[in-house]
Order: sequence, then C-alpha cells, then structure tokens
Amino acid sequence: MIETPRRTSEGGISTPVRAVVVLALLYLFLTGVELLGGGFKYLGKDLVDGLFEGVSNPLGGFFVGLLATILVQSSSVSTSVIVGLVASGVVGVDEAVPMVMGANVGTTVTAVLVSLAHMRRAQEFRRAFAAATVHDFFNILAVAVFLPFEIATGFLSRTATWITDQVIGSSGASFKSPLKEAVKMPAGWVRDLLEKLGAHGDVMGGLLIGIGVAFIFVALAFITRNMRLLVADRVEVAINRALGAGSGMVAILIGMVITISVQSSSITTSVLVPLAASGVLTLENIYPVTLGANVGTTVTALLASLATGSPAAVTVAIVHTLFNLSGIAVFYPVRALRNVPIRLARGLADLVMDRRSMAVAYTVGMFVVVPLLGVLILR
Amino acid sequence: MVMSFFRKPEEGGLKHIDAQVQGMINDARHTFDLAMNALTGGPVATVADEVRRTDRRINITEMEIRRELVVHASVHGGVDTPEVLVFMHMVKDLERIGDYNKNIFDLADEGVSLAEAPDLGRLLGYRDELSSRIALMGELLTTRDEDGARAYITRGDELRREFDDRINELVHSTEPAVVAVPRALLYRFLKRVTAHSLNVVSAVVMPVDRLDYFDEDDETRA
Repeated sequence: MIETPRRTSEGGISTPVRAVVVLALLYLFLTGVELLGGGFKYLGKDLVDGLFEGVSNPLGGFFVGLLATILVQSSSVSTSVIVGLVASGVVGVDEAVPMVMGANVGTTVTAVLVSLAHMRRAQEFRRAFAAATVHDFFNILAVAVFLPFEIATGFLSRTATWITDQVIGSSGASFKSPLKEAVKMPAGWVRDLLEKLGAHGDVMGGLLIGIGVAFIFVALAFITRNMRLLVADRVEVAINRALGAGSGMVAILIGMVITISVQSSSITTSVLVPLAASGVLTLENIYPVTLGANVGTTVTALLASLATGSPAAVTVAIVHTLFNLSGIAVFYPVRALRNVPIRLARGLADLVMDRRSMAVAYTVGMFVVVPLLGVLILR
Repeated sequence: MVMSFFRKPEEGGLKHIDAQVQGMINDARHTFDLAMNALTGGPVATVADEVRRTDRRINITEMEIRRELVVHASVHGGVDTPEVLVFMHMVKDLERIGDYNKNIFDLADEGVSLAEAPDLGRLLGYRDELSSRIALMGELLTTRDEDGARAYITRGDELRREFDDRINELVHSTEPAVVAVPRALLYRFLKRVTAHSLNVVSAVVMPVDRLDYFDEDDETRA
C-alpha cells in the first residue's frame, strides 16, 4: 500500500501541543473581544452615532450583519464583533438582533463558493449547488418569519433576556465574569502600549477596535485550522455514522457537535458539499446536519459574550442561538415545511444546471449586490 | 451515537478502510473455496446461499468503502489522495474476484462436476494455490513486503500463461462441448481471479499512475 505522510502532526506539532495552542488562541480571541468593546468607549459619541446610524433600521442592521459576515467569511467573527458592540453600549440589543440574523445568512457564502468548483459536471454541480443553497434558503426563510415577528413582539430578545436573568442575573450593567477578569491583563498591556505611543481619544479607540478585530479574526482562523486537524478523525467517523443514522435529530446533533468542535459552520457545510456532489449524501441527509451547524456556530458568540461581563451581550448571543433553534422548530419537524427549503434549493439547482452563469449571478447578487445596496440605501 | 464523538475514536479513516479491505479478501477466499469445492465434488445446493450471501457482502463492502473514501477525502482534503485512489481501485478488483468466484460456483450449480475428471489432480492443485494466493494478497498488503509482492506477481504471470495454454488447448481439442466448454470457462475465470489479484498486489510496488501495468515494468518482478 502506498503510504502518505499522516496529517496529524502537521509541521511536527503533537496533539497535546496543538491543544495548548488552541487554548492560547482562544485566550487571544477573548482578549480581542475585550479590546473591541473597550475601543468603542474611547470614541466620541458623534463618531459612533455616525458609524451606526443605519442599524437602528432593522433592515439596515440585517444588511450590515450580512455584509460584515460576507467580508470576513465567518459568522463567528461577525457575531463576536456584534457582541462586543453591545457590550460597549454602542449598539442596543434590539438593534443587534437583526444584525445577528444577517450574520446567519452571510455565513452560507463559503459553501456556495465551494459548490461552484463542481460547475464543469452538470449533475454533480446540481447536487452540490442544491446542498449549498439549502442553507441559504433555510436562513432566508427563518429571517422572513422571525424578523417581522421579532419587530412586532420582541419574542426572541425577551426570551433571551429572561434566560440571561436566570443564568447570570441582571442587577447592574455588568456581571462578574471570570473570563473578563482573565483577559483584563493582556488587554491592559495593549492599552498601555498605545498610550505610551501617544494614542488617545478617537485614535486610541480606532486602534483598539482594529487590534481587537484583528485578534478575533486571526484567532478564529487558526482555531478552526487547528481544531480541524485535532478532530478530523472524529468528524470523519461522525459523518460516516450520520450517513447510516436515519434519524434527523441525530444528524442535527452531529452537525452541532462537529461545528462546535471545529468552531466553524462554514467548514461543516463545506465538507458536506462535495459529499452531496458525489451523491454519497442526499439533500435530505444534509439538511439536518446544516441546521445543527447553524446552532453549533452560535457557541462562539456565547463564549465571547461571557468574556464581556455584559448581560446585554449575553442576551444577544442567546438570541442568536434561539433564532436558529426557532428556525429548526418551524422548518424541520413538519414534513411539509421541512420540504420548503429543500424544494427551493432543488428548484434553483435545476435552473442553474443548464445555465451555469445564473449560479454566478446568484452568488454575486445574493452576497455582494443585495447587501451593498441594502446598506447604502438604508443608511 | 452523538456522545461517541467525545470518546477516543475507534479505528477510523484509512485504518478502518484497511480492515474492511482485509474483510473483503477473507470473503473472496471463502467464496473461492466454496465454489471450487462445489466443482470438484464438494457440496453444491447446501452452500449456494452462503456463496451468494458472501458475494453480496463483498459488493456492499465495496460500496461502503467507496463512500467512506469520499467522506475521508472531503474531511481531510487532498493529503491522502494517492491512498484514496489506490483503495478505490483495489476494491473494484476485489469485487471482481468475488464475481468470478460466483461464476465458478454457477458452473457447479448448473450441474458441472469435475470430481471424476482425469485432470482432477491438476485442478485441485490450482484450487489450493489460488486459495493460498488470495490469502497471501491480504498479508502482502498488510506487511507491504515489496520483494514478496514481486515474487507474487512473477508467479501470477506464470499462472496466467498456464491458464491461457489450457484454454488454447481446449479451443483446438476434439473433446465434446460438454467437456471442453465448462473447462474453458473455468480456466478463463481462474485466469481473471489471478489477474485481479495481481492488480491488487501491484499497489505494493507500483505508483498510482501505473497500477495494473506491472506487465510492462520488469522492476516489478522478482
């Protein structure tokens, strides 16, 4: 048998060392969230109001969340930033909820791009594109149902606030967070360094925000890369088991567990696309795993919120989880509703199979034109 | 099932596929033995279900391995591409061995019996040798013994020539069709079993792009 170099020690890093690296990166991520939230406190009120004037409009907030996620290619990054904004008081919970919904939609761009790689073979592309866009359609349908409902009733934010009250209490504007205490020191070092370099006011705020976002982005990128290596074998076994599971609930849970492990729903859904393209997985197999991935990815924002010490930030993170769980509650148990995103995805895939340029047009339209126009018009 | 994610994974990935390939080889040897025994005086009707069941298991295992290879490639990316391609190629050959074994059994099932044949001794010799060679195939894949693989391929070439000679003799013989045709078919099936086993073992000594083309490469021989 041909022996190929094993990937488990990429760059000569052993598993225990890699696990320590992941913990260190997690620490860097939480420090980034702390810096981000702290940075906004330095900015002038007029500047902050100017930056975020569009998000008071729910649709504007939705498109901001959508565009931000597409730009950074990660809902974990964008929702962590949103959590930081809420923690700093720049954005309120009501304004953040539509942003979080937009982030949910934006994260599907990676799987769609992966599906375009199968464009040269028509049947394969049809399966791949359907597998990628079923995620889009679920998210869009969930927003279509829950955004108006949330605006009208505040159901998600009220429920999340109640949960926050039960878990950490809501006395005062903050709670004692051990994670926040843990990251105060390195965040303080960065602040002190910038002060020594002469930064203050808006400049200090801008630098802290930039460094915070950079820490979040870099940390998550390397966390997902390392976690993928650490858990790849388990993910492989889990997917093989899911193929034979037959139960949608098990598939949802497997999607959640895999995504929490690799800290990226994009990785989970992107792995599913070639499996669908080859015909190994059907759209009906993939759909529940995708739903689970949607829920699993909310863990990152929850973790970030716990580092802020802000009950409002925790509430927004819980809204993200509740939104996805509510979407599952509507679009999974009842077969007729479960089939809606599946049929829409198949219909679109049938359409683009013979006119591949439409697939590119859909991708550009959905993930570039519409969010840009939305942000520009509604600001 | 979900909680098993958090336990240390049992053999997964390519190690698991390796084990399944060994299972296919064991099944292939089993059906070969049953088929040849049926043709040379052993039970026929009582083993028919076992032969077909085992052949189905070989086919199902091939499909499972292919699916797991696609999952492996999707999860791990392109690092193990050569191994994935080799496994993909190998399971097809093993499945074909299973098919030819069933074809051999079908001769017996159709009423062909070589139990009283004058060349029974030679047939039993081929039966024993090929049965051992199927088992040796599994060992060579496990040990990656290149010298052993080359010797295996050399002897396999000799066997293929012998089977070709037997078939040509029958083509030109004056034996009645009821005698010549089953023998010609048998030697044809034995030649194909031999050839597919050589394809499998060629993975030990040949690069991916030249799998099966060992007959064009003197270095593959002992």
